[in-house]
Amino acid sequence: MNEDLYWMFIDVANGLLSGSMLGGYYAVIAIGLALNFGVMRLVNLAHGDWLILAAYLAVAFLSMANVSPFWTLLLVVPVMYVIGYVIQRVMLNRVSVQAAERRGMSASFGLMSPLLVTFGMSIVIGQGLLAVFDSNAMAIRNELSFDAIRLGEDLTVSTLRLIFFGIALLMLALVQFFLHGTHMGRAIRAASDDPEIAALMGMNANKVYAVASGISLATAGVAGVMIGMSRSFQPFDGPTFLLIAFGVVILGGLGSMVGALVGGLILGIVQVLAGTYFGPSAQLVAGYILILFVLAVRPQGLFSR
Amino acid sequence: MTPMADAVPLLRIAGLSAYYGELRAIYDIALDIREGDILAIIGANGAGKSTLLKSIVGLMNRGEAAHIRGRVEFRGRRLDTLETEAIVDAGVTLVPEGRRLFPRMTVEDNLRAGAFLPRLRPTADRRLAEIFGLFPKLRERRRQVVSEMSGGEQQMVAIGRALMSSPSLILFDELSLGLAPAVVDDIYRKVREIHAKGVTCVIIEQDMRRALAVANRVCVMLEGAIVLEGAPAELTEDAITAAYFGSER
Repeated sequence: MNEDLYWMFIDVANGLLSGSMLGGYYAVIAIGLALNFGVMRLVNLAHGDWLILAAYLAVAFLSMANVSPFWTLLLVVPVMYVIGYVIQRVMLNRVSVQAAERRGMSASFGLMSPLLVTFGMSIVIGQGLLAVFDSNAMAIRNELSFDAIRLGEDLTVSTLRLIFFGIALLMLALVQFFLHGTHMGRAIRAASDDPEIAALMGMNANKVYAVASGISLATAGVAGVMIGMSRSFQPFDGPTFLLIAFGVVILGGLGSMVGALVGGLILGIVQVLAGTYFGPSAQLVAGYILILFVLAVRPQGLFSR
Repeated sequence: MTPMADAVPLLRIAGLSAYYGELRAIYDIALDIREGDILAIIGANGAGKSTLLKSIVGLMNRGEAAHIRGRVEFRGRRLDTLETEAIVDAGVTLVPEGRRLFPRMTVEDNLRAGAFLPRLRPTADRRLAEIFGLFPKLRERRRQVVSEMSGGEQQMVAIGRALMSSPSLILFDELSLGLAPAVVDDIYRKVREIHAKGVTCVIIEQDMRRALAVANRVCVMLEGAIVLEGAPAELTEDAITAAYFGSER
């Protein structure tokens, strides 16, 4: 067998495989943003900081109870849901697109003001984390970090990444089912489109948005624990993940969970392949070049209609 | 039903005015709607017909600029202090002008959205089947996204969506606007069927002859006030025309 051809095949297979695994993880990071942005037309600049906050919550929980990191989800997810619900009700509902339209202002004004509010929120969360946890890098220790499953002579996949990929598929399916198969999911889509008519359906739009934001942050809770388990993090790491989430949403198109998965997969695969062929420094650059390219030729996202 | 219950109207409107900011759009409206009525409201553009219907379902109380004054009572219960959600829960709903469907959602999702209230959810499947019985075309197209449908089909979805809340009173804003005459005939047949099932109907209609044909009561609005009201048999076309244009003849 031709040796060169074999290694070429292994490189590509590896890139596709670990890129896909990375892509699932990216998709989870982006779900919350895709929900807020795509369904509710709310651009949440604090999304990355909420992810990091969730990772710190998991660390705090683990310092009190010595259990497997996966158990932290039982605490982190509900806490993040409540935070999302409350923040939406007391703050974001006052500045949303829908609130602006209700006051007779243009929708573009309604897109601007949440940008400012969530940008401020991002700063507050970062500083708050710094005050409580100091600036040392933290990580969620777990036994799986260095485990790998051998698929062939020269082909392996990280156990942790594989588990994350499974969780990603499960979460995307759950959110998709929630949006399309439940009363509350339909209400979220309806109330974002036309709050006045939603009221005629008996929906209290502000409560509906609060549930949507709660779910958005609950998914950010899962993503935050994943981040903490796969790398070290610091209080101001939020924007890094916000960029990843934006990348996924831009590539996949707005508001669809299938889009989030596809966007995550593309970004993950391109990054890993670029890393393989052009060295580690090319990873991030390749991802952002791709995003810029897509923004230039198909600003509505690759897969939105 | 006791004789007294017949005397109390289903919906009683008294001294109702509605404002957009400083601008008064309807002026001191008094109107009783009895159970089993088909009331047609006719009037020129800007006469305040839509504003009246929006005031009844609380949509003039939502924004910061618009508000209402006066009383609206439904079965003796005040609606004017309630939010739209509670008014719909009480059994009054509106089919809005221009349909206002959720454009990116399928026919079935649009219909199911109408059964959001907790008390409606357990029976939603049964009512969905009833609506598909009334509009068989919608059953075939249940998976279709509504923005791809014709105006008449969209109006069917809008009516079906309102029916999902099992209302006792439906307000139709501009029921036939922009629809082909054959489609309008069909829609009116459906309205009669809905009415026959015991739903009281209020219809805003531009076509005076159609309004007179379908309604058991007609009221004409002009410049924010009701200027003429009565049974079609009592009213001459001339009297209605005069009221419509506000001309003294």
